[in-house]
Amino acid sequence: MIGLFKVKEKQKEEAKNTNTRGGGGALVKKQSAGELRLHKDITELNLPKSCKISFPNGKNDLMNFEVTIKPDEGYYKSGKFVFTFQVSAVYPHEAPKVKCKTKVYHPNIDLEGNVCLNILREDWKPVLNINTVIYGLFHLFTEPNHEDPLNHDAAAVLRDNPKLFETNVKRAMGGGYVGEIAFPRCM
Amino acid sequence: MADLDVPQSKSRDLDKLLLRPGNLVGPDFDPGTELRDDMREYVRILVVGAGGLGCELLKDLALSGFSNLDVIDMDRIEVTNLNRQFLFRLEDVGKPKAEVAAKRVMERVSGVKIVPHFSRIEDKEIEFYNDFSIIALGLDSIEARRYINGVACGFLEYDEDDTPRRETMKPMVDGGTEGFKGHARVIVPGVTPCFECTIWLFPPQVKFPLCTLAETPRNAAHCIEYAHLIKWPEVHGGKSFDPDEPEHMKWVYDEAIKRAELFGIPGVTYSLTQGVVKNIIPAIASTNAIISAACTLETLKIVSGCSKTLANYLTYNGGEGLHTKVTEFVRDKECLVCGPGILIELDTSITLQKFIEMLEEHPKLLLSKASVKHGKNSLYMQAPPVLEEMHRPNLSKPLYDLMGRVQKDTIHVFGTALKNEEKQSSLTKLRVVFKGADGVADMDTAIGA
Amino acid sequence: MSEPKTKYDRQLRIWGELGQAALEDASICLLNCGPTGSEALKNLVLGGVGSFTIVDGSKVEIGDLGNNFMVDDTSVGQSKAKSACAFLQELNDAVKAKFIEENPVTLINKNPSFFSQFTLVIATQLVEDSMVKLDRICREANVKLVFVRSYGLAGFVRVSVKEHTIIDSKPDHFLDDLRLNNPWPELRSFVETIDLNVSDPVAHKHIPYVVILVKMADEWAQSHSCNLPSTREEKREFKDLVKSKMISMDEDNYKEAMEAAFKVFAPRGISSEVQQISNDSCAEVSSNSSDFWVMVAALKEFVSNEGDGEAPLEGSIPDMTSSTELYINLQKIYQAKAEADFLVMEERVRYILKKMGRDPSSISKPTIKSFCKNARKLKVCRYRMVEDEFSNPSVTEIQKCLADEDYSGAVGFYILLRAVDRFAANYNKFPGQFDGGMDEDISRLKTTALSLLTDLGCNGTVLPDDLINEMCRFGASELHVVAAFIGGIASQEVIKLVTKQFVPMLGTYIFNGIDHKSQLLTL
Repeated sequence: MIGLFKVKEKQKEEAKNTNTRGGGGALVKKQSAGELRLHKDITELNLPKSCKISFPNGKNDLMNFEVTIKPDEGYYKSGKFVFTFQVSAVYPHEAPKVKCKTKVYHPNIDLEGNVCLNILREDWKPVLNINTVIYGLFHLFTEPNHEDPLNHDAAAVLRDNPKLFETNVKRAMGGGYVGEIAFPRCM
Repeated sequence: MADLDVPQSKSRDLDKLLLRPGNLVGPDFDPGTELRDDMREYVRILVVGAGGLGCELLKDLALSGFSNLDVIDMDRIEVTNLNRQFLFRLEDVGKPKAEVAAKRVMERVSGVKIVPHFSRIEDKEIEFYNDFSIIALGLDSIEARRYINGVACGFLEYDEDDTPRRETMKPMVDGGTEGFKGHARVIVPGVTPCFECTIWLFPPQVKFPLCTLAETPRNAAHCIEYAHLIKWPEVHGGKSFDPDEPEHMKWVYDEAIKRAELFGIPGVTYSLTQGVVKNIIPAIASTNAIISAACTLETLKIVSGCSKTLANYLTYNGGEGLHTKVTEFVRDKECLVCGPGILIELDTSITLQKFIEMLEEHPKLLLSKASVKHGKNSLYMQAPPVLEEMHRPNLSKPLYDLMGRVQKDTIHVFGTALKNEEKQSSLTKLRVVFKGADGVADMDTAIGA
Repeated sequence: MSEPKTKYDRQLRIWGELGQAALEDASICLLNCGPTGSEALKNLVLGGVGSFTIVDGSKVEIGDLGNNFMVDDTSVGQSKAKSACAFLQELNDAVKAKFIEENPVTLINKNPSFFSQFTLVIATQLVEDSMVKLDRICREANVKLVFVRSYGLAGFVRVSVKEHTIIDSKPDHFLDDLRLNNPWPELRSFVETIDLNVSDPVAHKHIPYVVILVKMADEWAQSHSCNLPSTREEKREFKDLVKSKMISMDEDNYKEAMEAAFKVFAPRGISSEVQQISNDSCAEVSSNSSDFWVMVAALKEFVSNEGDGEAPLEGSIPDMTSSTELYINLQKIYQAKAEADFLVMEERVRYILKKMGRDPSSISKPTIKSFCKNARKLKVCRYRMVEDEFSNPSVTEIQKCLADEDYSGAVGFYILLRAVDRFAANYNKFPGQFDGGMDEDISRLKTTALSLLTDLGCNGTVLPDDLINEMCRFGASELHVVAAFIGGIASQEVIKLVTKQFVPMLGTYIFNGIDHKSQLLTL
């Protein structure tokens, strides 16, 4: 390809003097392939009424967003839980990073907001999308499970004494203490 | 042909390949001193990464007839680099890799000019990359490869009949190593598969389930990841973990030890802690040398045509005996990054609204409810409502203005397409050309969009 | 971490401290320090080889500046060995660097005993008759030898060692040693303490798959007159049987059990490769047998006695879904069995040593332990003398390769790389080495190659003209990139030979820089 390179290099020399540019394009900042796929995911979201998505950084940053879940049934009914999503340029090769911003008493979410959801880590596949993840999160509230605990105490209570678990959840969501731990009101 | 009594040439050995006609050579091979001299004068090569592969690439290119090189790397030299990054010495630790590497090669190979860039690849203007004839990649992350691939393929233009235009091709050679294994590949956008066409070649990283870490740790790595991912944020609140901060690493190690003792799990060491937390890939000098040499040889062939080119992916495995294998991967014709997309001619007056309506009727697209994206800018999004609302004012504007008044450019449209009588989710690349536009961009509007 | 340890961190993760220590003990001799030799040595110096000695009698010429990074403008006219030595020393001050300004061929002819001081010799750019002589010298002196040659866009690497035995071969993929279809009593009784029908769903989904499969294999055997699944149909049925025990779809342990079911079907006993090693005549040990073969002799006894057909247990298990407690207990059961097997092996090794009148403690515990752990992965590599291969290569192999599209380029280069040495012996230059007279060189090389093929017994075989032309075009040039590639491969083979880890190449590696259809030829 030497002939081509030579011609181009000579053209560049000339262009330096006249300062024109040909063709057009490439003026706009490059998007990543991951970003493109994410935008598609977002327009195709098909969420239950109880889930809302928002973009705190405006329309120019869709790679970081929040999802608010207000469960309409189960232990967490009428609570409001906010999750932050961080999507990297390597998406969908890598899963989005998801954290629960609202401190919650939940067997599968710890007090730091780490979430135990298989598709966010070991079972993530590029064919999955943001919609699947949000449904997965939603599911955690309608059916918390004590078998894959991240909050050990909450899991034990759910397993051994569902009535007490229900009371604890209510108390936590109302902005009270469960044991030594204070929870902010999220109803 | 040179006379016997001319003074000895520095390119004594290379001359045999570049000055003599050959039989098994590239189609445009034109041997002679002009070829050799043109390579020195007109070819500019960018080496991305000045690590294990990058150091070798710079040396190899400098000794393969190339005189104008640039190197870009954002890292500084560390002690753990010294077992393979042969351009660095103990006293260089802490200095920018690109700068030291460039200096060392220039010191030893006279007549070679290497411009170092101590910078992130994303921080360079796109046009920076267009200045090079070829880009050689010595990287260890998918993310960086994907970025450069996007940039290089972004320069590719197609003719009206979807033939890639040769003068817009930005060839890349890419190498990668892990222990005794490695690969070298040639990417000529529009001709051979680009990085995105074969993204599946890279297996996803193994990640342990969080509940395993929290509840049923079984091995040392589980204990380390527990300390790193769960315990650190719990104890340090907002302070983020820095893997390059020895005190942070020591803390994680100590916590991992405690956890391992609690569960009776053997095997937590400081070295393993670093390995797990930083996802360290073992690396040795020999594999880097082999892979970089293969990449440089292909660079030499692409430029000069002095031999056939690798078609198009070489794998190397030296652990069990020795295996090298060439695989010819095929392009994804519909690749959003290197594919031609669909050519559409438009009037400069068409509004975004009309354009979106037009997509529904377009025989090759039949795309309803389309969203439109131009580079990093979203022009329109159909959903969710909060984003639709933010973009709605664009609908009445001319697409030409929204795209920065360029005569032609690539955009992506996505929505529901009718394919084989079935509605399918679709994402397509379009090459938009505006009729009657003069092609000179108005810089102000281009950047403001 | 101390500085050297940090410096070598990325390679210690591959060959460990034992491998590193072996490297640091090694003394390497390099013959000729053109780019091929320099690049090979560079990779070893970076890795921290103990010492090296460069032997090269030439002075640096202008032409060397264009292909060798170890010389620069200031070294023109000076000793190449000295210049390369100084630069290589800069790379790592822990390495003892020496050079001798002498032509290696002279040394081979005049002072063969010189080579016996080294662990390994890397001989670069030698012609055939020097290779043959050096090979004899090194075999005799028990010095490992690696030949390397770059020639235009072609080249080769050839290892020559009488015998290279490997305990820690580190294969990429290897079936783990779980004994699912042949559990020993302790494993069996542990499995019996666990109830697959436990009612607690958390407990149910945390039973490790090893336990599930041992139970299922037993259950199957009881209903199939003590046989294991063997037909495709039976294997499918077995997996269905495993699946039927699931109580919920999200039980990862059962999914793992189904995926690992093939481990139940794997044959019992030692592999044919290990069988072959125990049948080797070297396993009939005598007082001067190497430690490796003494341990093989012990292994052989173990397999037919305590092992009941099996090698010592490896003792480790892969990660699997499990409660921590069950996993740790299981791990301990495997470790205990491995330890017991080791003790038996150790006793046998000591007894054999004693019987031969050798110090019974002359093989260390860690070595025997490592041998036991890797008993299923042992490797023995033997190499033909270069002379034998050159005068009597496998003709069927050559002809097979010539007919195979993927191999024809490589075997063509093999013939031509030898033909150019014959050419040089006859005409005092390599074909195309000087400008002018190319057509004559081409026809002479063609004739030389033909007569070589005839001498080898490949009558009627012809090489493509294109390849012969290219070989003349190369004109014995030593291109930097080809040197870096081939030198890199040579250094990697040296590391494997010195550390006694991984498996070195068996045969001659022919580099084909035209289309990268390089091949390993066993001739």
